[in-house]
Amino acid sequence: MAIHERSLVDPERVLRKERLVIDGVDVSGDWNLIILPRVINDYDLEFLDEVLQQPEGKTITQCYQCSYCTASCPVHNYWDERYNPRHFIYLARLGLIDELQKRADVMWRCVSCHKCTHRCPKGVLVEEVLKAILRVMAKRGIIEEYPSKKFDKFFLESVYEYGRIEDGELLFGWVEKQGYQVVKDPILKKPIPFVGGVPDWLKQLAAKPLKSMNIGFLVLNAKHMLFHPRTKNWNRFKQVLRKVMEEEGVFTH
Amino acid sequence: MAKSVLVVGGGPAGLAAARTLGKLGIPTILVEKEQKLGGRPVIEDYHTLIPRKMTPQQVIGPFIEEVQNNPNIDVKLGVELEACEGEAPNFKVKLSNGEEHEVAAIVVATGFQHFDAKRKGELGYGIYPDVITNLELEQMFSREGKLYRPSNGQLPKRVAFVFCVGSRDRQLGVTNVHCCRYGCALSGLQGTEIREHYPEVDVFCYYMDVRTYGTWEYPFYWAPQEKHGVRYVRGRIAEITYNPQDGRLRVKHEDTIVQRPAEVPMDLVVLVLGMEPSEGTKKVAKILGLAQDPDSQFLVPAEDAGSNIISNKPGVFIAGACKGPIDIESSLSEGEAAGAEAATFIGAKVSA
Repeated sequence: MAIHERSLVDPERVLRKERLVIDGVDVSGDWNLIILPRVINDYDLEFLDEVLQQPEGKTITQCYQCSYCTASCPVHNYWDERYNPRHFIYLARLGLIDELQKRADVMWRCVSCHKCTHRCPKGVLVEEVLKAILRVMAKRGIIEEYPSKKFDKFFLESVYEYGRIEDGELLFGWVEKQGYQVVKDPILKKPIPFVGGVPDWLKQLAAKPLKSMNIGFLVLNAKHMLFHPRTKNWNRFKQVLRKVMEEEGVFTH
Repeated sequence: MAKSVLVVGGGPAGLAAARTLGKLGIPTILVEKEQKLGGRPVIEDYHTLIPRKMTPQQVIGPFIEEVQNNPNIDVKLGVELEACEGEAPNFKVKLSNGEEHEVAAIVVATGFQHFDAKRKGELGYGIYPDVITNLELEQMFSREGKLYRPSNGQLPKRVAFVFCVGSRDRQLGVTNVHCCRYGCALSGLQGTEIREHYPEVDVFCYYMDVRTYGTWEYPFYWAPQEKHGVRYVRGRIAEITYNPQDGRLRVKHEDTIVQRPAEVPMDLVVLVLGMEPSEGTKKVAKILGLAQDPDSQFLVPAEDAGSNIISNKPGVFIAGACKGPIDIESSLSEGEAAGAEAATFIGAKVSA
C-alpha cells in the first residue's frame, strides 16, 4: 500500500518487512505495512525537576510561550524548523523526551547572542535554560556530542593546560580533531600549518590575514605555535581549577 | 405614591443593592427564591472566592448580616416574583406567596446557574466517578477539607483541569458561545490550593486560551506556574476514557504546541463549568419585559445607556450575573450601583 503524503509520516514509524508470515499466513507484499501511532502516552515529569535543580534552569517555569525568543532568534531563521527555543522549553516542562531527542542535533545551534533573554517579557533566561536542558539530556545520555560541544571541550582543554589559548594551535589542532589529515613535526608533535589535508577554505581563511601581517607579529605567532605560551604560576591554579571542575562535574574523563 | 424598591434575588448583587437602599433609608423588599440568603457562593459552599482569596462567609457574611438587621429591608425567603403591572414609578408586583406590593423601582439580580456537564457526554461526567466539576471540587475542599478520588477515596497523583466546558462552544448552540470569565482564574486558584496542600500531586491545566483578566494575571496565571508548578498544556481535552487495567482515566487531546495527539493517564479530571442564565432570570425577564441577548438569554442593558446596570425598561435596574458571567467582587459593586441608581430614580431625599 502506498503511503500518501509520506513526508508527513516520520520514517521511524513506518514498519515494513521483506517477508512476513503471521500464524502461517504469508502477508508479505502490499498488506505488510504498519504505521505506528504517534500518540504520546505519558509525560516524564522528572525531567523538569532535574532542569530546575540546575542553577541555570530556575527560570524555566516562567515561560508562557509567547515566542518572542524564537522570533528574535538569529539562528532560527537560518536553521530548520526544529530549532525553536520556546518549543524546547515547552517540551522540557512537560517531559516529552522523545520530541526533545528528535531536536537534539539542532539544539546546540544556539550562538549565545542573548537576544531572547533580553526580550523575554517574563524574564526567562532562555539561553541559560537551553543549556540546562542540554546538560540534563547529556547527563541522561540521550544526547550525543555535537561539533560545537567538541570544540568547547578542545578549547577548555587548551585553557586548562596552559591557562590561555594559542590561536594557531586552536585552529589547526581543531582541524585535526575534525578528522582531517594533518602533518605534524617530528619533535614537538604539533600540526604544521597548511601542510597535509587542510581544506582549501581554511587555507584561504588563514592566509588572508597573514599577507597583511607585520613580520614581528608573524614571528611571534610562529614562536607561540612551537612553544605554547603559558600563564605564570598556572600549575598552582590548575590544581584548584581541577578540583572545582571535578566538583561541578565538568570533567568526564 | 409608593416609594419603596423591590430587589429580586438574594445573591451578592441583590444583597449589595438591598444594603445600599436600606442604608439610604428607603423601604426595600428583598425576595429570594431559596430559603437562604447569599446566592450561589453560600448555598453551594464555595471554598475560596477569586480574586481576594477569601471565603464566602468573609465576603458575603457581613452583607447578609446588615441586610437582615436593617429595619428598612423586608427580607422574604422562598418567594418569587410572579407578575408585574404598571409603569415606573408605579409598579404593582405580585409575589408567589400571594402578597401584592406597590413599588417605584425594581432591581433585578437573579443570577446564573452552572452549566450541566452531562451535556458534554464525551467528557464522561456522570459516567466515570473521577470526572468531577470545579463546583464539586470546591465543595470537596469546603465540606470535606481534603482532596480525594471519588472512586476509591485515595489521593490522586495527577489532576487535570479542562477549561471552557460549556462556554465558548458553538456545538452547544448559540447559548454557550460566551466566555465564562472566572474559569481560568479559579482553576489557577484551585491548582494552587492543591499544590500547596499536596505538593506531590501534579496539576495540569488543559486550555485553549487563558483569560485571566487585568490584575488577575499574576495571582492566577503566573503564580500557579512559577511558584506552585502547575503545568499548562495548550490543547483542549476531547475525550475521557477509562482504563480498567490500572484504574486511571485517559484524557485524549492534541498538544497544539507539539502538534501531537496524546493520551495521558490522569487520576482526577476537573471540568471547569461555564455560566448560563438562571431559570429565575429568564422568568423575570418575561414578567418585566426586559431585553435579553438573543443568543445566551442573559439580560442586556439599554442600548443608549452608558451604564450596564440600566435596563431597557425605565425604573428597572439589572445587576450581577443575570446579565452575563461576572465575578463576585464586580457583582457586589454592581449591586451597590444599581441600588444607588434606584434610589435616585425614585427621587429619595437622603438627609444627614
